[in-house]
Amino acid sequence: MLKKYYEEMKSGLEAAYQQKPRAWTRMNIQLASTFVEAFRKDAKVVWTSFYSFPMELLAAFDVVPFDFEIFTNLLPMFDADKAVEIMNRAEEDGYSTDICSFHRLAVGCCLLGYMPEADLMLTSSYYCDGKAKANQSLAGHYGQESISLDVPNEISKESVDYVAGQLRRIAAKLEEVSGQEFELNRLRECIRVSNRARRAYGQLADLQKVTPYPYIGIPVVNMSIFSNMLAGREIQEQIYLDMVKESQEKIMKGNPVPEKYRVAWLAWFPTQPTNITQIFRENGVSIVMGELARNYWGELDEELPFESLALWSLKNPYVGTIEQRLKGINEIIDGYKLDGVVHFSTDACRHSCAAQKLIGDALKERDIPYLVLDGDMSDKRRYSPDRTQLLLENFIGVMAGRK
Amino acid sequence: MPIAFNSIGYFCSLVPVEIITAAGLKPVRVKGRAETTAAADAYLYPNMCPYIKSLFADGLDGGGSACDGVVFTRSCDGMRRLYDAWQAYVPNDFVYMLEAPKNCDGLAVEYFASQLRIFAQQLGKKTGAEVKEGALAKAVKAANQVRHSMQELYAMQKKSPLPVNGSELFKLGLEVLSGDGQDTAGRLMSVYDSVKKQAGPGQGRKKPRILVSGNVMDRPGLFEIIERAGAEVPVADLCTASRYFERRVDENAHDVYGALAAAYLGEPRCSRTATPAEIFARLGKKVKEYAIDGVLLTSLKYCDQQLNDIPYLVKRFTEAGTPVLFVENDYLFSDSGRLRTRVEAFIETLES
Repeated sequence: MLKKYYEEMKSGLEAAYQQKPRAWTRMNIQLASTFVEAFRKDAKVVWTSFYSFPMELLAAFDVVPFDFEIFTNLLPMFDADKAVEIMNRAEEDGYSTDICSFHRLAVGCCLLGYMPEADLMLTSSYYCDGKAKANQSLAGHYGQESISLDVPNEISKESVDYVAGQLRRIAAKLEEVSGQEFELNRLRECIRVSNRARRAYGQLADLQKVTPYPYIGIPVVNMSIFSNMLAGREIQEQIYLDMVKESQEKIMKGNPVPEKYRVAWLAWFPTQPTNITQIFRENGVSIVMGELARNYWGELDEELPFESLALWSLKNPYVGTIEQRLKGINEIIDGYKLDGVVHFSTDACRHSCAAQKLIGDALKERDIPYLVLDGDMSDKRRYSPDRTQLLLENFIGVMAGRK
Repeated sequence: MPIAFNSIGYFCSLVPVEIITAAGLKPVRVKGRAETTAAADAYLYPNMCPYIKSLFADGLDGGGSACDGVVFTRSCDGMRRLYDAWQAYVPNDFVYMLEAPKNCDGLAVEYFASQLRIFAQQLGKKTGAEVKEGALAKAVKAANQVRHSMQELYAMQKKSPLPVNGSELFKLGLEVLSGDGQDTAGRLMSVYDSVKKQAGPGQGRKKPRILVSGNVMDRPGLFEIIERAGAEVPVADLCTASRYFERRVDENAHDVYGALAAAYLGEPRCSRTATPAEIFARLGKKVKEYAIDGVLLTSLKYCDQQLNDIPYLVKRFTEAGTPVLFVENDYLFSDSGRLRTRVEAFIETLES
């Protein structure tokens, strides 16, 4: 069933791109194509986490990357009722409703046979316990081994060596799965490509500092979740450069929607249809940066590819103590002339939500209005448009009062 | 300037108590003593594990902080965030995050050993009590002896009727973990001797035998409900019961930190690193060894690691013909009435 959705999404986006070639459309075509390709009979499919696994390593092999969370959780965008029906299937099987909807939906899809077959099931120990355990459950269902890239909370020579050592072992697994010998030079080339994309992305992130910025930045938030799927591939740089060009053109033309308020978005943006975008449009609110869309990682060292990729993982804002996350939030505040910060709080996302008070205290010190917007990423039963409207309008009122 | 320390609290079975003992300090497994977690709700997200909230509520009230220092591990997302909140809002002279890998292969053991060395150094620096290899080897022997004694007691529970009430044995384990009393190993051996003398073969009505399995439990409420309903608990696979005491550190290893790392990351493992199939295999073995009639799986509410394993375990036990019940708990057992109804109904089905 989901395969059909992605085939339709792909052809629809390709038609749209023919008419109006936009970089964001191209990014989404890549996403849909990857998911469609995962169903190809001869494809070597590696399940992984697009947003937290160093994808350059996969790009060094001819494999199709697949992310079960993203694949299943875009479904509410197409059909939110169907997504609930599928979550119900997992709940009937004993999966508690206290488990994140992202993982209940993935388990339901697995039980109903909507997933492509995996040749290798990789994940990472971060962002959350739920994802790593869901990967284990799904691997058990398919009779596969679940491999987790364990990323510690601290950055030191020991932790870099530990993560790099795991990546070397994973490279050996990828050799087995793909039937290809690992080529260090190919990985180095992927790293060079990734560095170029990073530089292009840096330009994009800088352009978002321009005031007024004529873009409602949901793509910016979402990009942080799935654009890493393309890391190590030429197309990533091309898409970022197109985005830079489009942004420059928009800035040159002026702002079609008056930008009254600039906010940063923490944690995730719901994949189910919501009224957030509409409320922001009506009130001139721009999301100028997402917490995880910040260009937080440094240049990768092609001479030490495994160690560089290890460091990339260790530097993720959601790894480590709250200081690492707060440092990133403070950098966004410093660079993006914010009027406020919104933390989307999906019920079961314990690792992000549990720090709300600490973040609130830090923002209070900086005198930045802060809203914890509770809801759910993909379960419409746990999302209230009325409550969202109330909370957002009150928050916009607070920002207005400070102008 | 070193501070005069007496005790170090810890929250997870992954902390090697041997290092704390070797520094001349008392390791204390911190319990959430608060009867309500309301104080924590102002700081932590409502949908956090009640154990975490209870610990924090107690810490805010000066409980966990009654220890001179506390050691956290990367046990789970909740524990990571508790560390952040503790650092910010609970006064303690020594708040340490011990990096415990979430894998358990050779690479993970090597990395964990490096972190244990650093922990020992930091502890020594803070307290002025250097952790010497000789003291550490001695602490390893002592801790092994305590764990071994507890295992001996658990081994005797294979008999029917039980030599020791499950709830009494559980409480004894908690006492050991709390670091209370002197000469724990000696005391356990004397309990063992007296139990061995009393234990007779096959006296009394055979009661249904329940295996309890789950994560952290610091209160005997569930055991008492089971016993009052006419069943018994020979063994409990919990972080604070038999699972903790089954660990043995290699006393003859050349590298003591490596041995500690291997033992603490090794079997028996909880849902943090073990797959549900591995957990089922371990519990299945216990079902046979202890002649178990029914399995009671329990989990702290909002524990993502444990909750994800439950459907698989329930399915496998059902397929194997072993009656199984799953109940969530809120750590404080504040909903004991509801729990009692479900447990009694389960035991009735076993008896029939």
